[in-house]
Amino acid sequence: MNIKKIKEWLRSRKMKSEEKYEETKKEFEMAMGKPFIVIKIELPNGFDDLRAHFLSLEKDEQFLDEVRDLIKKRLVHERRGVKQPS
Amino acid sequence: MDSTVIIFILIYLLTILISTTELLPMSLAALAGALLTAWFGIQYGLFTYEDTLSFIDIRLLMLIIGTMIVVEIAERSGLFRVAALYAIKFSGGNPGRLFVFLCVASAFVSMFLSDPTAMLLMAAATATITKLLNYDPVPYFLSATIMINLGGTSTLIGSVSNMIIGMEANMGFTEFLVYLAPCEIALWAITILTLYLLFKPRLGKKKTLPEYSPAESIKDKKLFYKSMFILLLLIFLFLALENLNIGPEGIALGCAILGLTIANLDPAEIFKELDWETVFFITGFMFIVKGLERTQLLNDISTQLFQAAGGNMLNASLMTLMFSGLASTVVSNIAVALTFVPIINAHVTPGVNAAPLWSALVLGTNLGGAATPFSGAVCIMAAGALKREGILVNFKDFAKAGIVTTIIQLGFSSLYLLVRFWLIGG
Repeated sequence: MNIKKIKEWLRSRKMKSEEKYEETKKEFEMAMGKPFIVIKIELPNGFDDLRAHFLSLEKDEQFLDEVRDLIKKRLVHERRGVKQPS
Repeated sequence: MDSTVIIFILIYLLTILISTTELLPMSLAALAGALLTAWFGIQYGLFTYEDTLSFIDIRLLMLIIGTMIVVEIAERSGLFRVAALYAIKFSGGNPGRLFVFLCVASAFVSMFLSDPTAMLLMAAATATITKLLNYDPVPYFLSATIMINLGGTSTLIGSVSNMIIGMEANMGFTEFLVYLAPCEIALWAITILTLYLLFKPRLGKKKTLPEYSPAESIKDKKLFYKSMFILLLLIFLFLALENLNIGPEGIALGCAILGLTIANLDPAEIFKELDWETVFFITGFMFIVKGLERTQLLNDISTQLFQAAGGNMLNASLMTLMFSGLASTVVSNIAVALTFVPIINAHVTPGVNAAPLWSALVLGTNLGGAATPFSGAVCIMAAGALKREGILVNFKDFAKAGIVTTIIQLGFSSLYLLVRFWLIGG
């Protein structure tokens, strides 16, 4: 019997339960705390030369502020009943 | 004692040791033990291969799997999460009320969910709210753990050990409630009060709760209402169809099929999430106990125990409560239930009211599971969740709350059995 494999299986089971815990906690945080969204955006076609710059945007505070402003604008429009461009 | 009995005892003890220490996955330990039981049993002529086919109680497995499917659908709909969110909201940021509501919500969700699943849900809720309000999470976590262990003592589907005892004792859903609900309600109150007094200085000061609507967290309203309907239907049918010769396993499986049909979920996804580890552990361990039963050892233990009790049903019930309660503090309560069932069955003869013995076993197997951090999966999960939140809970803290509440619960249960079956009667 391969004990190493069994130990790995036990570890993966523990990790699965940890993942589920984090997932459940996120749902509670979303419900009780400030809601948030996570968006996945791919590098647009034709910008392969700017790959590093694109990846750095994830932590670029100025860029994130711009995104927050965009969302604010969108929500203001939504509240006023202005039709959003699709 | 002949060599056959010694071999079967060794298989039994090794299986318990290996599964408790998680040296091997508990399901694998039990299945390997079952294989050895079958091999030695057939070799020594204790039973035939055909006999072994009746060692596994298919009705019990159907009840467990059916209930698991219904509950999995309800869990996916967010039903239990919403219940926990309402409990927190109604506390209004008052730490005492939050503590009580979290305790009640923990016991309530564990009436349906398996203990580890309930712990996962309540640990996430507790971690979030205590972080938001900047409270010490330890008292809330430990109390939730103890209440999850206690929840569901009085229902047939409240825990796997209840299902095992209920099926063997032919105790229906209503009988469970009649015999045990008053005790469970009192135990909830006594345990919450004890925990509150133990942890009062650590609960924190009143804070403003963030504004939120639990209903908004429902992602799929149709699924939410459908799963609520199925769960209520399951309970209604358990209560209503008891006299129509339909066993609880038929009701559970029927509701599971109906749930899968109307919930519009991929059945394969639901099946993947079921607790197969427990199902296979029960299957294997049931087999080992049946093998042990064939050696007449359990019969002898039963005779000696009842002789030690002076042939008195009250003494026998109290002994069952204490032995099963203490055994459950170190061994899985499923294993304890499976072992005690044949011991009690050997003593049950026509005309004897065995309800006090079965009730004592239900209470013992349910109450012993949260005495120490190592008493069961739910305690280990609670300690793990606290560790992930960066908090190390020491053994003393855990054992103080666990041992005190276990002693109080077992003490009260003894008193309850005495009053319920000997002073009131029935």
